[in-house]
Amino acid sequence: MRERDLFDAVEFLRREGEALLRSFARAHRGVTYADLRFETVFHRSCVANDGEPRESLESEGASFGVTVWADGAGNFFGAGQYGAEIGALALDRKRLVSALRAGLEEACARARASARAAGTLRRRLGAEAFGAPAAALPQMPAERDDVPATFRDDPRTLDPEALKRLARDASAGARGVSSAIVYNVVAALTELRRELFVSTAGAAITQDFAFSQGDCYVVAETPQGHQETYDSIGQQRGFEILSEGCASELQPNPDLVGFAIEIAREAVDLANAPVLKPPAHEVTVVTDPHFNALVAHEIVGHPSEADRALKMEAAYAGRSWLLRSPTVNEIGNRIGAPILSACSDPTLEGYGHYRYDHEGTPGRRVMHLERGIFRGFLNSRATAAILNAEPNGSARAAAACYVPLIRMSNTFFMPGADEPAKIIADVEHGYYVCGNQIPSIAESRENFRISARRVYEIENGRLGRLYRSGSVLGDSRRFFMNVDAVGNDLRLIAIPNCGKGQPMQAKRMSNGGPTLRSRARLAGG
Amino acid sequence: MRPLAELKRFAREGARILAADPELAQFEIYCSSAEQLVMRLNYTSDIPCKGVEECKSLGADGFAIRIVPRSNPQEIGAGFVAGDLSADALREAIARARHAAVVDPHFQGLPDGPRRLEIANEGPNDLARTPGSRMVAAAWEIVDGAIRAFKARMPGNERHGLVLGGDLSVTRDCFAIASSNFDGIRAEQGAYFSSSVTALVERLDARATASAVGSSMAELSQIVPPLGREAVNRAIRLGGGEQPSPGKHRVLLGPQPIAELLCYLIVPSLTTGSFHAGNSAYLARFGETVIDERISLADEPAGRARAIVRRLTCEGLPARRVELIRDGRLVGLLSNHYDSQRLAADEHRADKLGPHASADIQFPAANGYRLGEGGGRRFDSMLGTAATNVVMRTHGGLADRELIAAVGDGIYVGRVWYTYPINGQRAGDFTCTITGDSYIIRDGRIAAPLRPNRLRINANLEEVFRAPIAVGRRIAPITVWGSPEIFYVPALAADGISLSAVGADA
Repeated sequence: MRERDLFDAVEFLRREGEALLRSFARAHRGVTYADLRFETVFHRSCVANDGEPRESLESEGASFGVTVWADGAGNFFGAGQYGAEIGALALDRKRLVSALRAGLEEACARARASARAAGTLRRRLGAEAFGAPAAALPQMPAERDDVPATFRDDPRTLDPEALKRLARDASAGARGVSSAIVYNVVAALTELRRELFVSTAGAAITQDFAFSQGDCYVVAETPQGHQETYDSIGQQRGFEILSEGCASELQPNPDLVGFAIEIAREAVDLANAPVLKPPAHEVTVVTDPHFNALVAHEIVGHPSEADRALKMEAAYAGRSWLLRSPTVNEIGNRIGAPILSACSDPTLEGYGHYRYDHEGTPGRRVMHLERGIFRGFLNSRATAAILNAEPNGSARAAAACYVPLIRMSNTFFMPGADEPAKIIADVEHGYYVCGNQIPSIAESRENFRISARRVYEIENGRLGRLYRSGSVLGDSRRFFMNVDAVGNDLRLIAIPNCGKGQPMQAKRMSNGGPTLRSRARLAGG
Repeated sequence: MRPLAELKRFAREGARILAADPELAQFEIYCSSAEQLVMRLNYTSDIPCKGVEECKSLGADGFAIRIVPRSNPQEIGAGFVAGDLSADALREAIARARHAAVVDPHFQGLPDGPRRLEIANEGPNDLARTPGSRMVAAAWEIVDGAIRAFKARMPGNERHGLVLGGDLSVTRDCFAIASSNFDGIRAEQGAYFSSSVTALVERLDARATASAVGSSMAELSQIVPPLGREAVNRAIRLGGGEQPSPGKHRVLLGPQPIAELLCYLIVPSLTTGSFHAGNSAYLARFGETVIDERISLADEPAGRARAIVRRLTCEGLPARRVELIRDGRLVGLLSNHYDSQRLAADEHRADKLGPHASADIQFPAANGYRLGEGGGRRFDSMLGTAATNVVMRTHGGLADRELIAAVGDGIYVGRVWYTYPINGQRAGDFTCTITGDSYIIRDGRIAAPLRPNRLRINANLEEVFRAPIAVGRRIAPITVWGSPEIFYVPALAADGISLSAVGADA
């Protein structure tokens, strides 16, 4: 039977999915576990360019992903996955079930083929070739819950003209700032996502998410120079956060028009500013919350992902400076100043908020740095077993058709006691580094060069000249150990597109921190 | 995956329905089906692992439409539907496209190339039919070869921190397009594989990568299984590396670093979109010599012996070779139909192209694609500009040994990562770290391995490409993580490249 509302397919599979998985597992010898992730997404977006509408989209999608574990010889199991974007096919219950069954069969065939090949290899090379056997996976969570989304303006019933008008007005606003603005693009999106997770272990969870996001890219050109500046705002809310702004204490944002004008003004100021010619030696740097969001992302968050730390991402995104091996690592060691702490917390409202991860594990706060001591990793169930840790609910996919990876949630430096103005006022000579642009990270993230949007010289506690094209260049541990002031002005920043995995998955999250003061070298243009 | 015949049938039927709509002046219907099979490798000798971590696939099929109403030739609406090729789905797509329509004063109509086009369709290659279980077996052959090589080269040292990562991926796709602006259905299908295998021997502080691309099962069966063995053997040879002092060095950049620079800095600057936006590293320099005169650069979507072969763009236009840089001179840009029109009508066009550009230069829309993250054609991706096979050729290029001799004393950089335009695309500044496959060059010879992850490059495109000491002759195919293109590039040596130390402060 063909239904009318794609979102109803989630309810259907909430009722029928477990039985489908269990009957599949019963009918296939050696299948020890199977799970199904399914989602529907309603998406509305608009792009405006130089004050004119450029393109707009309204879409509704559905996708699923299944995972099957199959036993092989010698107690070695194989895992197989299958994912597909099926869209409107999900409106037809019979075809939907048929597609899921076909996906499970294919995933099972891959799992069995992998288990067989692994068994053959172990027999030929000896069991020790695969290192110490993994600890048994922690007991499967069997959570059953329904989590609603929070929004005022439902993306599905929003007048499409409202979104188009807003993007156009924001782009026109940016263009109107100055004749030096030679190009701008403003994008606005609002979407509603409903996710389902069911497993043979008894989990049955639905979670709804509302996302709204605005992106702005501006090119400014003056006789003094050229500047490209971009940034995003985003919340797990409806269109209201773009049309009216958001007064959240942790992650506030102006409305999209105000945001675009702010970015354009900054680009013009920077195009008129000289390129930073940095001193050759290490200097005092005061970094603002926006810049620290990227430091938290690249230097705390990514290396705290257990899959990366356990070398599973070594060929793509590198390893982690926080773990040499499960027994030789930085857990319990000092890697930062006693005033520096950092964590990931999906329970906070932010762009990275969720209640359950995509293995059905409840998300919770994970302390990474506690008064300078490294405390632990974000993990999945499998990596938690290897590290002999409790699963902390950090395995998430960008969409149901992708395989979950370990991802940040809201990852940030925690606030301290210092007033930001005093942190600057106490500097005799140094630099105030504001806003992040581009990161470049060493292989294990033990070193970084992160470019800033604005760099001001500090002379006798006062902000001096503005420079463009400045970067902070440092070794991670030394930068953290040298932190001597932590502000009380914690802010989270929406990160719209963190890439990880093969094929690349772009994930939304929040990062942030308060104002920090440390020492580092600077690089210029 | 859906068969191409089904896509063609739906494109034909959809075109018939759209053509009968009296309110539409122009329309386009694009149907695609794509699948990416990915076998991700993860072997760690000292950490429990699965060997082949993920045996997965990602598939999508559906269609997208673009419509232009008779009431306003500058109004364009777009919509797509996944998973359903039916008349109901087409009606839904039309309704969504009408909701989403915008009046864009710069829109000048849908692509209007030749009404008739004969495209030789060679049919699906055997990769298009390969089952997932065969790919699982191939991935395990890589792991098997790697472990055997490690045990043979380092007997009794199973706990020496061997890490094997990477993947074997097959991308297969097919698409059909019909448009009010041309006759008949245009369609194409293709499949290719890529595999990149990285081996680290942590106790030796060594890292090496072996990779391959191809378009048939015969090639896959022949060149993929040995990749694990090759990566491990190379990594072992790279053990005990030296760490030179930071400062300015002579550097021989191998094909992989050159591919990264092309991918992240140069190719994005060689599009009509980047010239219109004013963010190209070569803004106002069209027609000028922008890099060394020994170097030429082109996109060759249907070149012989290339892994990806495309004869049609996702706009239904011929996917032609585009010459970008000829003997160092900027002579062409990648483009899609909209961006070609937009730059042609740009009131600041002459300033943006520069004084050496001919007033009547045209940029044909030979590169309009809808590509997913994995590189396959996707109906639900926005239309953009992309290259297919980026080929850098040189004249006066040297053989590998001669290149090394030309450097004299310096560093061979075989692999870098996180190569980004650190101060924006136009500035041309970049930074990256040297992660493996690299050596010290002394007296014109490879003298010792370079310790990985100890040096960061901080430089500008001009420093690398403007006056290189020497350019290579041998071209190697390189894939870049997350990029849909394949880069066929040589090595290139440059002087005075700034290197800073990683971990010097630790």
